[in-house]
Amino acid sequence: MYQFGRFVLIRAALAIFTLIVVSFIVFSLMELVPGDCAERYLAFKNTQGSPISIADIDAERVRLGLDRPYLVRWGNWIINAFQGEFGDSCILRVNIAQLLGQKFWLSLGITLSALLLAYAIAIPVGIISATSNNPYLNNSLRLVSYLGLALPNFLLALMIMLFSTVVFGDTLTGLFSREFRDAAWSYERVLDFLSRAWLPVVILGWSATAFAIQTVRALMSDEIGKLYVTAAAARGVSGGRLLLRYPAKHALTPIINSLGFDLNRIFNELPIVALILTLTEAGSLLIEALARSNDQQLAGAIIFMLTASIVGLNFLTDIALAISDPRIRRSIIG
Amino acid sequence: MTDTSSTETNVDQKLKEAYFTAGQGQLIWARFKKQKAAMVGAWVLIVMILSGIFAPFLTPYDPTVAGRNESYLNGAPQIPKFWDENGFSWRPFIYTFERTRSIQTNFRWVTTIDREKRRYVQFFVEGSKYTYLRFNVNLPGKALDFTIPGFAFKTHLFGVESGQVHIFGTDATGKDIFSRTFFAINTSLAVGTIGVFIAFVLALIIGGVSGYYGGWIDSVLQMITDAVRTIPAIPLFMAVAAFIPPEWSSETRFLFISMMLGFIGWPTLARRVRTHLLTERNQEYVLAAQLCGASAGHVIRRHLLPSFTSYIIVDLVISFPYMVLSETALSFIGLGLKDPVNSLGVMLQSVTNADVMLNYQWYFIPVIFFITLVLAFVFVGDGLRDAADPYSSVKK
Repeated sequence: MYQFGRFVLIRAALAIFTLIVVSFIVFSLMELVPGDCAERYLAFKNTQGSPISIADIDAERVRLGLDRPYLVRWGNWIINAFQGEFGDSCILRVNIAQLLGQKFWLSLGITLSALLLAYAIAIPVGIISATSNNPYLNNSLRLVSYLGLALPNFLLALMIMLFSTVVFGDTLTGLFSREFRDAAWSYERVLDFLSRAWLPVVILGWSATAFAIQTVRALMSDEIGKLYVTAAAARGVSGGRLLLRYPAKHALTPIINSLGFDLNRIFNELPIVALILTLTEAGSLLIEALARSNDQQLAGAIIFMLTASIVGLNFLTDIALAISDPRIRRSIIG
Repeated sequence: MTDTSSTETNVDQKLKEAYFTAGQGQLIWARFKKQKAAMVGAWVLIVMILSGIFAPFLTPYDPTVAGRNESYLNGAPQIPKFWDENGFSWRPFIYTFERTRSIQTNFRWVTTIDREKRRYVQFFVEGSKYTYLRFNVNLPGKALDFTIPGFAFKTHLFGVESGQVHIFGTDATGKDIFSRTFFAINTSLAVGTIGVFIAFVLALIIGGVSGYYGGWIDSVLQMITDAVRTIPAIPLFMAVAAFIPPEWSSETRFLFISMMLGFIGWPTLARRVRTHLLTERNQEYVLAAQLCGASAGHVIRRHLLPSFTSYIIVDLVISFPYMVLSETALSFIGLGLKDPVNSLGVMLQSVTNADVMLNYQWYFIPVIFFITLVLAFVFVGDGLRDAADPYSSVKK
């Protein structure tokens, strides 16, 4: 128990360290954007007709605390960020936590469902393809996993849209029908959401599935030739019971370990797919913030939250692994 | 009888000798040649690379606004034919067309094809000028600016007698999609090359230091690498790309984006370099070199790097399509390359609206080329990986 507690503590410290490094990168990027909040506010005032001077901008900087040293501001930002408070966006002039709130959880939900879908397909298919000697099955699975890379999610989304526009005359875009877009959550709204959310989930899951099949297959074929499998078979264990109880158990451990990076890969494509399918969630908010309005506070907050959820998932999978495998508890950094 | 068997053992012996004396490169090549899919991929890749390099010659028109066809905006593909109901011709031809729009057609351009009047395809025609090896050198001070003229050519592989031919149709500004596609292949290859090169150098340095020294240097570098790996790449690209000042020229932008791809893409490669080094550095030959007094840099360069050059080449080939795809994704959302430079992402920028999807599907033709390009890279990369692994034939 002591060992386990120590493991959890060290892992948690590592996760927080990662978050701090990431926050430094994100914060520095935000600082690199030309212009700051003071200039933005006053530029807005200028458009309203009140004349402004350099002295006004400097006064505004002092008021917003932008004149303090870089490291102090970073410290402040990160302390607030850990409490889920990202300040106001100085372009949209609203609180970022409020603006993101629900949208971020929607995105996270979609991404996690895509991840779930990917492994729900990849684990059985990968195991079957590793054990079967059917060349047609293997070659076609190989082609599918290659296509997962060659036809990235956003191209797939485009192709599906092209197909559905030509054949059905409907573009299948958006997360809600028009009448539910701004309605409060209700049973009907959830149904409407589910009837539309499956498409982004499938599209986002596509590359991940192809990739996961390849991984599962490779790990399985490594394990399946080992002696303990032969020994189990000699003892009379056979069929699915043999596969699941012996090699699959070992082969799947590294996969749990890499879930965080899989989530990263899916998150990665979310903004672009969101743009194509005109989903109104965090991903497209990010593009909006970066491509159109240079809204550094909003962009920084989104990237930080994305990374925080990936680091969080990594932490959880580490703990889950440690519970199931005593060897991992002993190796602290491994 | 004995004669034949002895020659057979002789041949066997020779083969064995050839096998044991063959260099690493020869062995990899021999294994690579056996894989059909990888060989097909390699040929496709060579054709693609050549068509990217010779794009100006292979395509009939300038891919920028300079080469636009004002009388054929959003025009459908014109596929050259050898025969129709009016008879056969050795020289392929296309038809003449007339475009009208009026209140009857709801003010859309309507094309009527005149099947009686043929326009024949000509080969090696004179067209817009293009240059190779031309550089503008901008040194500080006006007097020092000069241009290396390079070689200028005017010949294009094909064209038509009058007007223009658009095999893949044209886009909303009348630019030839066929020409743009080939130039886009060129751009993608260039972006990939620059990006992979930078990522490779960074990965070698960081992974090399981390793997060779180990200990706390390794731990710190690994933590930083992992932190960089946790940030989703495309949002990070987007954040970086958003800082590009709008007044930069498209060429500067192109260079900057390719460099950024490299600067963000290094962690995966660095990790692999590190893992290779960690296993290799405990081998006896490294110890021997160290005992002879070789410096760290010397050991890394002369002994460790050659031990896994083949793995590095494989990694480079495999990471190439990721660079190309990232660039495409970035340009597609408008944060990557911009118009005068052609790339698949730039070409796909305007296709998401329903008008294009319903009426101008030929905008999507370049997608096929890109899937082929990436697939070719993946097949070659996979084939190389199997070929470079000396145990691959033992395992299966």
